[in-house]
Amino acid sequence: MSGDGDKIKSALDIAMEKADRLGALSEGEKQRLKEEELEAAGEALAKRYLGGLPLGDVEAEVAGRDEEHRATIIRHLLAGLADTIDITQDGGSDRTLAAIEHFSGDREAVQGIRALFGEYLAAADGASHGNLDAMAEGKRKELESKGISGSAVKPATETSPEWLRVKEGLEAEYQDRLAAIKARWASGSP
Amino acid sequence: MRVVGDFYAYLWPGVTMAEMQEYGNNSNTYLVANALPGNKHVLVDPGMVTNETKRNCLDRLVAGIQSDGLKIEDTGLIINTHAHPDHYGASEEIKRQSGAQVAISAGDDDFLKLMSGEMAEAIKQMGFDMPELNPDFYLSEGELRLGQDLVATIILTPGHSAGHIGVYWPDAKVFMGGDLIFSGSTGRVDIPGGSAQMLKESIERVALLDIEYIFTGHQYGSPGIIQGRDEVQRNFDIIRRSIFPYL
Repeated sequence: MSGDGDKIKSALDIAMEKADRLGALSEGEKQRLKEEELEAAGEALAKRYLGGLPLGDVEAEVAGRDEEHRATIIRHLLAGLADTIDITQDGGSDRTLAAIEHFSGDREAVQGIRALFGEYLAAADGASHGNLDAMAEGKRKELESKGISGSAVKPATETSPEWLRVKEGLEAEYQDRLAAIKARWASGSP
Repeated sequence: MRVVGDFYAYLWPGVTMAEMQEYGNNSNTYLVANALPGNKHVLVDPGMVTNETKRNCLDRLVAGIQSDGLKIEDTGLIINTHAHPDHYGASEEIKRQSGAQVAISAGDDDFLKLMSGEMAEAIKQMGFDMPELNPDFYLSEGELRLGQDLVATIILTPGHSAGHIGVYWPDAKVFMGGDLIFSGSTGRVDIPGGSAQMLKESIERVALLDIEYIFTGHQYGSPGIIQGRDEVQRNFDIIRRSIFPYL
């Protein structure tokens, strides 16, 4: 409820007041508000698609918007989808990448993400083999020097600060490379 | 308190109801003196820093060790039988004071990771803390060699927790069982990771060992140390007869 003295404002009153205020806005402010609205619409579409909305329905909703606004909505839709891609997890689900390819037309970038994820897995595998084995051996030697040995002893390398540092470095490198690909859609010019 | 040879026990009061009420919960702690080079000790289940009654459990442990002419700073290895805070809680603090290596089974370390983050917050809301634990190494079933000539056998004893371990010292015939078995009872199996069937199987495996002393994890209304071959066997029999049917 909104009150102004004794008068209770109706929804129409509130809408009219908003319209009056908009009339007082500069062109730049109006554009900013419109951009915010389109951003919210694009992000909401991304969320609904990820929640199960069919691709055709997403396309129909975009097509139902004013032609001049479609590109902006798609840009934010793509940003919303791209935000869910984590190179250290799955490099983006097939469903996510399919929608990105569909709306961006940027097949090359989508293939780039798939390739980057494969590259990350190989790098992580290589780093773990090289580093974890060496760290395990180093830890085993350290334990032996302290008089601790035997078949029951398994060095905890995957939780060691040394390995976590290596892993974080690797993840940061690949997240940066992923961010560079994502930036192609954010600019609106894939 | 020295029990036998280099084996010491620091029992948390709880044999009587009055003690349980007054002292609250904490695990018993066991120490093997001078087990490692440089006269470093092995500590099994250091217990908590403070418990739910706000008692400083670690201070009490430190004082107990001191009264035996030993020092907590000389701890070289901390073995945790399982990842319940009343057993491992003081590990990181003792590690900070002594530079000791910390060990637990990989299975129970996984449980700890699962319990971290939001889960830890939920547990805290219920009045329990999940202190940090950063193991230097994991213990799996097999031989643990300490120094030149001391050997322990690590036995996986799941049931109270999924990755629960027991430490058997064959020369002294001592079994440190954490919360596998108590005097006249067993560990709970209703905590996440627990399993009645696995507990029974673990107890039957341990019952095959040549044991003179069982060092238990708690004095829940009964003495913390079961001493003597006959007494140990009698305890297994009582548990099979009186506890197993209800697990």
